[in-house]
Amino acid sequence: MSAVLVIEDDDRIRLSLLLALEDEGYAATGAPTAEEGLAAQRSRPADTVLVDLMLPGIDGFECIRQLRRADDVPIVVISARDDTQDIVEALEAGADDYLVKPVAVKELTARLRALRRRARVVADDEVPVLRFGALEISPEAGEVRLHGRPVPVTRTEFQLLCELAEHPGRVLSRQQLLQRVWGYDTGDERLVDVHVGRLRQKIEADSGAPRHLVTVRGLGYKLQR
Amino acid sequence: MRRAGLRVRVIAGFAAGALALSATMALVSFQVVRRSLLDERERTAVRAAYYDAEVVRSGLGSAVQPDTVIGLLRALDTGENRRAVLQRDGEWYSRQADTGVTDAIPAALQRRAAEGVPAVQRVLADGRATLVVAVPLPDGDVLYEVDSMQELEHTLGVLTGVLTAVAVSTAALGALLGWYASRYVLRPLTRVADAAQEIAGGASKYRLDPAAEPDLARLTTSFNHMVDELSARVERDRRFAADVSHELRSPLQTLAAAASVLERRRDRLDDRTATAAGLVTDEIARFQKLVDDLLELSRGDRPAARAAVDVPALARQVCRDRQVPEGIVGGDGAGPWLVDRRRVSQLLGNLLDNAQAYGGGAVAVRLALVDGVGRIEVDDEGPGVSPDDKQVIFGRFVRGRSAGARADSAGAGLGLALVAQHAAAHGGTATVLDRPGGGARFLVELPGCAP
Repeated sequence: MSAVLVIEDDDRIRLSLLLALEDEGYAATGAPTAEEGLAAQRSRPADTVLVDLMLPGIDGFECIRQLRRADDVPIVVISARDDTQDIVEALEAGADDYLVKPVAVKELTARLRALRRRARVVADDEVPVLRFGALEISPEAGEVRLHGRPVPVTRTEFQLLCELAEHPGRVLSRQQLLQRVWGYDTGDERLVDVHVGRLRQKIEADSGAPRHLVTVRGLGYKLQR
Repeated sequence: MRRAGLRVRVIAGFAAGALALSATMALVSFQVVRRSLLDERERTAVRAAYYDAEVVRSGLGSAVQPDTVIGLLRALDTGENRRAVLQRDGEWYSRQADTGVTDAIPAALQRRAAEGVPAVQRVLADGRATLVVAVPLPDGDVLYEVDSMQELEHTLGVLTGVLTAVAVSTAALGALLGWYASRYVLRPLTRVADAAQEIAGGASKYRLDPAAEPDLARLTTSFNHMVDELSARVERDRRFAADVSHELRSPLQTLAAAASVLERRRDRLDDRTATAAGLVTDEIARFQKLVDDLLELSRGDRPAARAAVDVPALARQVCRDRQVPEGIVGGDGAGPWLVDRRRVSQLLGNLLDNAQAYGGGAVAVRLALVDGVGRIEVDDEGPGVSPDDKQVIFGRFVRGRSAGARADSAGAGLGLALVAQHAAAHGGTATVLDRPGGGARFLVELPGCAP
């Protein structure tokens, strides 16, 4: 049974989400503040964390940053705010997905399943190490190395890198990446853009002028040697 | 149009004023000059005539031969323009052979001269202005001098020409001045008009500088104030809709999650409770759609975020999401279109939903990219749209009156308003036509789609 931690200050929303998630077969626990949520995650790590952005005390953005510093647990934001600024900031802080309230329970569980699938892909695939210059990607080990040194990437970032690495030099559109990495039929392309930006900061010498993970204007992204 | 009219009126006014003024001046000065020239000419002529008369009188004895008379006349220094004739005992004596000169002397003048009264008269001889001076001599003789005024007439003619030219060019200068003045005076108004146009075009931050035109400070200040008020009101309305929808989102999240718990246990509930739970769930879904649409509408003025989109593939995806056979998507719109993916996706979805609710389902979706204009047509075989409804169907909260409308699938009436808004965000239009063979045809045209 997959464990989900819900960090949400609104008691009614938290309670209803816990009820619905338990119905769907998740072991769900709740926390009304970021502080309590972070403590719960330290003591009994859940497989996935749902975070609201407007929290008393430590806000959602900072909560995501602290969760991300600890490990690569999948983080899904559920917020009533849908300004581009908020979405981009939350994703840049390290969130894997962003859902706007009210989100249907079916949609939420679909997103959680997609995140789990990503986590499993890492363990199941048996592909040899892929090399792009100084960049090495070993899908089997779930590892990325730059100049031989391991690069810490989240599962979503890793999955995104693997999709691009499996088609070296070929352009994948944002929609294709959304479908393959996040499991969206139609989704928000900002998810892809922000994750690509985060990846570049980790694997490129100069993320402003990328050499490997390049943008093909009007089409999408490709990974080249 | 009105602005041009004002300008034309100002120019015409200036020109007419200048013309009236210069014409009056020209007329008065012409009269004064003519008067003084004529008087001067007359005085000269009279003086010369008296002088000649003195010469003739002293030369004429009691009994003189006609030859002597002519010789006397010939001795007079009359120049080219003056001709002297003497009337003596009913006989005309002239130094020239021609006698035509006596015809120029009016009979009335002759009578007065015969009575011993000296006289001067301007006459027309052979169509030429002529001055006739009559000087009575003793013994009933009269010396006439016929003086041509052709030179004077010529001078006056030149003067007339010059004065007319001056009047006309003054009028033209007046018109030019009027044109400049109207342009100068209207320039601040032109700026106001430009500003209004900018603001109507969406540049709500555009303001006038009150310091630029101190005389029009009141106009610019009140104009700016009006724009501030208007944009504040628009912003308040927009914010209100956004805030209300926003505030509804959190309770809706609770409702959505709680409803799914009810839904999962539906078969364990008794019939009445299950029916009630079903109603709650359905209404929450509708409520959610309404809130989403309202938020979308409140964001309406944002420009379209264009990117290359495979619209036919998107249309098939939208069909699949709605369990509509994707085979109905046709047309030659292959290749990427430069559009806002989210907006076009919602636009297509809303047109399909509308066809489902009011037209018995969409029967064709045609896509075409012609000269950079993306055309999206969605056909249904329903009852069509009445001419009255065609006017208002893209308005907010307008719902079809079609008998075939199914209440449970009918939204809040924002779907087509959003279609129109998404089209407008691309600078395009949404219209509804009659489908040949019955039913409605919704047509959306999006310009600037060529990649």
